Amino acid sequence: MRDHLVFYLNGQRRTAAGPEALATLTDYLRERRRLVGTKVVCAEGDCGACSVLVGRPADDGSATLAYHTIDACIAFMYQLDRAHVVTIEGLAEDSRLSAVQDAMVKCHGSQCGFCTPGFVVTMHGLLEDPGRADHVTSAVSGNGRANGSPVQPLPQLTEDKLRLGLSGNLCRCTGYQQILDAGAAIDSAAVVTMNQRFPARPVLDDFAALGDEPVRIETELRGVPRTVFLPQTLDQAAAFRAEFPGKQSAVASGTTDLGVQHTHGRHDPSAVLSLTSVSGLDRVAIEDGVLVTGATASWTRIERAVERVVPEYHAVLTRFGSPQIRNAGTIAGNLANASPIADSIPFHMVMDAELDLINPRGARVVKLNDFYLGYKQLDLAEDELIAAVRTPLPTAGQHLKLYKVSKRRDMDISTFTAAVLLTLDDAGETITAARLAFGGVAPVVLRLPETESLLAGQPFTKDTMRAAGQHARTEITPISDVRGGADYRLQLAENILVKCYHDLRPEPVPA
Amino acid sequence: MPAFGQSIPHDSAPGHVTGGAPYVEDLPPLHGELWVDFAGAPVAAGRLRSVDAGEALAYPGVVAVYTHHDLPPGGVNKFGPIFHDEPFLVEDEVSYVGQPIALIAAETRDAARRARGLVQFEIEEAEPILTIEQALTAESFLGPERCVARGDLDAAFAEAPHTLDGVFINNGQEQFYLESQACQCIPGEGRELKFISSTQNPTETQAVAAEVLGLTMHQVVCECKRMGGGFGGKETQSAIPALMVGLVSQKTGRPSRVVYRKDDDMLITGKRHPYRSTYRAAFDGDGRLRGVELDFVSDGGAFADLSTSIMERTLLHADNAYHLPAVSITGRICKTNLPPNTAFRGFGGPQGVVVIENILQEIAQTLGLDALDVRRRNLYVDGDPEKSVTPYGQIVRDHVLHETFDQLEQTSDYRARMKRTEAFNAESRTHVKGLALTAIKFGISFTTKFLNQGNALVNVYTDGTVQVSTGGTEMGQGLNTKIRQLVADEFGLLPQDVVLMTTSTEKNHNTSPTAASAGTDLNGTAAVNACREIKARMAAFAAKQFESPERGLVYSPENVVFEDGTVYDDRHPESRFPFGQLCDLARRDRIDLGARGFYATPGVDFNRETGRGNPFFYYTTGAAAAEVTIDRFTGDLVVDRVDLLMDVGKMINPGIDRGQIVGGFIQGMGWVTTEELKVDASGRLLSVSPTTYKIPNITDLPRVFNADTIVNPKHQINVRQSKAVGEPPLMLGVAPWLAVKHAMSFINPDAIAKLELPATNEQNLMCMTALLNREKAEVELG
Repeated sequence: MRDHLVFYLNGQRRTAAGPEALATLTDYLRERRRLVGTKVVCAEGDCGACSVLVGRPADDGSATLAYHTIDACIAFMYQLDRAHVVTIEGLAEDSRLSAVQDAMVKCHGSQCGFCTPGFVVTMHGLLEDPGRADHVTSAVSGNGRANGSPVQPLPQLTEDKLRLGLSGNLCRCTGYQQILDAGAAIDSAAVVTMNQRFPARPVLDDFAALGDEPVRIETELRGVPRTVFLPQTLDQAAAFRAEFPGKQSAVASGTTDLGVQHTHGRHDPSAVLSLTSVSGLDRVAIEDGVLVTGATASWTRIERAVERVVPEYHAVLTRFGSPQIRNAGTIAGNLANASPIADSIPFHMVMDAELDLINPRGARVVKLNDFYLGYKQLDLAEDELIAAVRTPLPTAGQHLKLYKVSKRRDMDISTFTAAVLLTLDDAGETITAARLAFGGVAPVVLRLPETESLLAGQPFTKDTMRAAGQHARTEITPISDVRGGADYRLQLAENILVKCYHDLRPEPVPA
Repeated sequence: MPAFGQSIPHDSAPGHVTGGAPYVEDLPPLHGELWVDFAGAPVAAGRLRSVDAGEALAYPGVVAVYTHHDLPPGGVNKFGPIFHDEPFLVEDEVSYVGQPIALIAAETRDAARRARGLVQFEIEEAEPILTIEQALTAESFLGPERCVARGDLDAAFAEAPHTLDGVFINNGQEQFYLESQACQCIPGEGRELKFISSTQNPTETQAVAAEVLGLTMHQVVCECKRMGGGFGGKETQSAIPALMVGLVSQKTGRPSRVVYRKDDDMLITGKRHPYRSTYRAAFDGDGRLRGVELDFVSDGGAFADLSTSIMERTLLHADNAYHLPAVSITGRICKTNLPPNTAFRGFGGPQGVVVIENILQEIAQTLGLDALDVRRRNLYVDGDPEKSVTPYGQIVRDHVLHETFDQLEQTSDYRARMKRTEAFNAESRTHVKGLALTAIKFGISFTTKFLNQGNALVNVYTDGTVQVSTGGTEMGQGLNTKIRQLVADEFGLLPQDVVLMTTSTEKNHNTSPTAASAGTDLNGTAAVNACREIKARMAAFAAKQFESPERGLVYSPENVVFEDGTVYDDRHPESRFPFGQLCDLARRDRIDLGARGFYATPGVDFNRETGRGNPFFYYTTGAAAAEVTIDRFTGDLVVDRVDLLMDVGKMINPGIDRGQIVGGFIQGMGWVTTEELKVDASGRLLSVSPTTYKIPNITDLPRVFNADTIVNPKHQINVRQSKAVGEPPLMLGVAPWLAVKHAMSFINPDAIAKLELPATNEQNLMCMTALLNREKAEVELG
């Protein structure tokens, strides 16, 4: 059993043990390493000023590290075992500006400069993005990879890719135009990828030499004994959870919520079970029309997996949190966090998803529709873990529409969400079955059984949907809060079904 | 090649992009440095009975807990830029949620943070005043009512064929600088204190620190290298963190630092003022205004801060770009139990501008006219004896407002798009569009006369490089880069031969805040004046070297030219001194190669008692066309296309000016669309982080976005005929709001939408729902 973390920071091998393992990545960088280029603004993962790149061994057999951008302010050191962290200080080589930095300087991409390191790091992340081949406009000549694989031309970043890719970074000065200008002006021939900048092989060899033993750190922080456990297998995880059930341990995977709780002093666990290192738990597959996701599958992975098969879900996922949040956040975390405005829950509810749970006594399956017992109350035993989520995908005749209403389009928490699954007859004239799940209207995401039965058997017309919308108002109990008034949410619940009608029966758009 | 007009990068850009440009929080800790945090009032109103710091003091790492009782003899627990009405630490009366009561100094940041929750207060709670309506009922005001008026309003209303009236509600806006308020204090010899502050106002920080801490101004130095954004929020309120560390360092003799956490910063610092503005307009059948009555009421918060100056600017911008023949404009400021509202880019201008733009939009809807035509008919006319005179008597001259409208109408394809908008709205069952073209005329100068001054120190070294220090502060706006260019051109050097130094009250004293868009005008001109003094001495010295009776060249400093890094006599340009060589020779001849330049803006004054005067040196003008699409079912708003056109004079640095124009516009767009401050029933702000307060995201940038400038040959004044650019474009950001208002006119053409600002998705949906219900109700009645 290893008692310390092993990771790399800007190409340097580092270890961390004791209370350092429980520090946030930004505290570690800024206070322990005096790497102050990484800025902290909100400490809630909602501005991107603290963006860093995290590389982990790629799972495509390429002997490289796959780098993703995350918000360091809500990441904990214990998640970074066997990872390579690259900060803004690691991007310029021998004080020569990187291609991204150079473009940002020339295009006036910085004004006050406080958000700038985050933007630069995130742009580098976009140039790392393995999904980039789907988004290229033109392939300009590029560099070969350091490991000798065939020369892979690096793409210019398109405006769409930049807009969505940078939607997790806030800037108050520039109005973003000159940042977009900079993104478009990056000389792709001069881009050095992280695998070129930091040869992966020695890092991978070093990680491999660590073997497959778990990490267990026993330490003390502010006078309280603490245990941090990084299992390699699900069984090890289950055993630890049984050792520290319920509130005795925090189950950590992406920590996009735990990190926020930490900032607000509401997360100070005596034991942490970090699932990041459990091998295979992040798998995403589509098997016989069922989306199977391991508990620690990140939203970025899921987003890619469903892009072609369920574009409607993919579209909502592109507005889930931010790219940094989706790179870290996991499906089990989102479902178990049980927020009534979680963006993923309505879809999985109308698709009747099932959760695979494990505990020391064995395994069991629970329907997501039965999982939420009340506000943040789950049908999950104190020693139970979510292992996987199995979600049937829409079949022929099933029409799925998903809605997210928020104050701002991107990087915002929903005010109201809705999933509508209508089964229409062959002619498309009659609703044979309906499933509705609304979020932001009650302490939990709600199915609307009355409205669903009202719709079943009715002709698929605007009048039907309007009447259903009016009935939906009576099935929900929204509150007024910082994200919107109860009246607004009631009106949305009423209107969304009419909107759904128009979306499924589009009229020609006027020129 | 002159540096003027070149888009050279921001002087800190390489530091920004590498993370190498430090802010206050990034400075290495000094030996023995303490972290400072504060415990604030848990309620909005009441009387503080006692403070119990016992538990906090016992927390490991805590060094001290201080309250107002710990201020030194001779110190004054009161400050304020205009009225001295704001206590630094609560003595008796609690005035808003989060108001600092006690300071915690600790060895670590974590200890200070954790200990602050252990400070106990006994407070006798009182009923807070939280809205303008409550304040009006309670007659709770700050400062006097002010008025600007001219003409016979009663006659105008009696004779006009049409009138309309209404109430305009605008919400506030958080500055949302990314770097929170921050300050470090370093104790010096004797009682001296040095502050490294993120402030737009080093002189004020120095003065407030001296007064509150019982020091003299010559015992205090304040420095600012750069800010991570300011936007007005660090004009006065940066003094509070300075006082916090000042008191701690004074008491402990140790360096100390405070960096507000984002949610603390948003909770306790002031913002753009919410207003409730009542309006009445009389007009012709073709939309020409005959009379306008405007009564502005702002929410000043708990203390005066800059509220009176901000209201003054509202009164002076209620006309915007339009001639108001008969007019009465009044302004009152409410005192409420919210943090004192303060400066924010535009400084009261936006609240005035948006009301008159809204009136013109409503006139267009009422008369069934195109709103651009209505606006054009009311624009100021350069040279017209009547239609060029503002309500306060200043003549609007040398502008290109009509040309700007003409050009933007063409380049934005306004007429064709208006037709398409109407056609779209006639057909679409799911979305509704709106299109609006609005103007801005923004007065440049502080309306408080004495602030219109600047000074600069220029040091020329013997290798030909130059250091410049001014009272201006760099918050991202590119002030230092522009001054670099101005100074480089004065000496015929390259921009990289000139470096702007940290702003410090030691080098530049009695300065004004970097505000009112006038940073470059004041400090740039002062720097140029300093350069010219040095050049005069150098030219006199150089002329002696060039003097040559053999070649018939008499002594003539007027012929000495500074160009391309060299100095020569233009009668004999082959013979040149490299600039640095001449500097070295000059020094050896005991020529002074340093100077302090001064500048005071000529001809500006305003009498706030009479509401008359010439407060502005000139106006920066422009126009914006914005097109929006709103989802009829959710209210979701998308700003599809924006075209901006501005007269910002001759640009010192077009790249930087473009950044100001686009950045200012998007900030204004945020104010009118997604940025919503929500306060709960107890007076606690709920939207205290980017999680709940939504500034524009990169995906909110309109898909089609054109930002251009128009040439104005008539503008012949100000430093190198440039114009200030910082604030004006923010007010072009009201165009999307007016486009929403235009869209609402298609939901129910017979009703004027009661649309508040910001036009959030919620606001839009509820407004549309009300318009539809009204339509339904009227149909049922009919």
